[in-house]
Amino acid sequence: MTTLDKQPAKAEGRSKDPWGALLEKVGKSQDRAAYHALFEHFAPQIKYYAISNGLASHAEELVQEVFISIWRRSCLYDWKKAAASTWIFTIARNQRIDMLRKMQRTSAEMAVETEDLWQIPGENEDEPVTSLHRLMSERRIRESLSQLPEEQITVIAKVYMEHKSHQMVADELDIPLGTVKSRVRLALNKLKVILQDQNV
Amino acid sequence: MTRHHPDSLSLMEYSAGNLTEPHALCIRLHLDQCAHCRSRVDTLNSLGAVMMAEQPKVSVSDTSFEQLMSRIDSAPEPVSPIAEAPRMSPLQKLLGDDINDLPWKRQLGDVSVLDITEKFPGQGERVVLQKLVAGGKAPAHTHRGTETTIVLQGAFSDQKGVFNQWDFVVLNEEDEHKPVAVGCEDCITLSVLSAPLKLTGTFTRLLNPFIR
Repeated sequence: MTTLDKQPAKAEGRSKDPWGALLEKVGKSQDRAAYHALFEHFAPQIKYYAISNGLASHAEELVQEVFISIWRRSCLYDWKKAAASTWIFTIARNQRIDMLRKMQRTSAEMAVETEDLWQIPGENEDEPVTSLHRLMSERRIRESLSQLPEEQITVIAKVYMEHKSHQMVADELDIPLGTVKSRVRLALNKLKVILQDQNV
Repeated sequence: MTRHHPDSLSLMEYSAGNLTEPHALCIRLHLDQCAHCRSRVDTLNSLGAVMMAEQPKVSVSDTSFEQLMSRIDSAPEPVSPIAEAPRMSPLQKLLGDDINDLPWKRQLGDVSVLDITEKFPGQGERVVLQKLVAGGKAPAHTHRGTETTIVLQGAFSDQKGVFNQWDFVVLNEEDEHKPVAVGCEDCITLSVLSAPLKLTGTFTRLLNPFIR
């Protein structure tokens, strides 16, 4: 299985992405230089993510929480399963959700925790095909995204960066919900997410 | 083997973290059992990462990293920071070990319900467990608004097909159906309702946990 696992990645001319290598160093040996490099690169992205999500007054705090979580969870990171930036995005998203939940509900006991709802299960699975798919997908997305029309990118950006539902995006842009959905579908089609639907 | 999956748009809203908690739970329970959709969500998470990378950057404060390190140093983690202990499934946390053994409220004939809306305060959606005894039939009904359902146990069938454990169904105003529990187990579903059900059969006023 090991060879299967490694060869396609090599054939793609792709080994660990540089951020993945740094993240592994943090996980294995609590490497502070590696951690600092990750901070320099990702902290400004996460700060903007916080601000665009309406958390401007808590943006530094969110950056801190995300990086504490990265430090603690880095031992679980496996470059074969996710690109570092994808892994960090999910942590930023979970911490953003968690922060909002705590702000909205001061005392009420939450039946389920943020991670129960949003952490992708199956972190321990070992499927070479899936791993390869995960490695390739980010590069493929970056390439396809550059070919999408602006109006599609705008909608996707609002969904991901401003946590707006499709309905809210429609209201804000003053276009019908159906138009938002069809823009998203066209974009996902280009990004091959819909294509995967059809392989069911 | 699940056959009925959430659509890409819902998975995108999940990946972006924009769903209400009950909806996120339905998706999460499906993902637990569906490698196909996990892979779709992986792709969508990568889309999120790419979007984040292509947006503007905002410098953090000069002392931000030092603050971080002093937090890490002042609260040293155990040597092995997080050992991923086998976790309880979210369903177990929410409903305990046996979903058959809950304070079900018998409604009419073959149908029992349990309203668990209170477990999701402030979400503005009705969250209901429904149980149809093995071989039992539910009265015909349509839906006002949208009803998202995941099958937790057993299976049911209606004119659209058979829905097995962990299958995902979204019904709205246009869907009138008359589900029948198939197989030898009681069929238990978890539904998130954006608006109450509307019964269309004879027992409209009797079986009415959803009509007030």
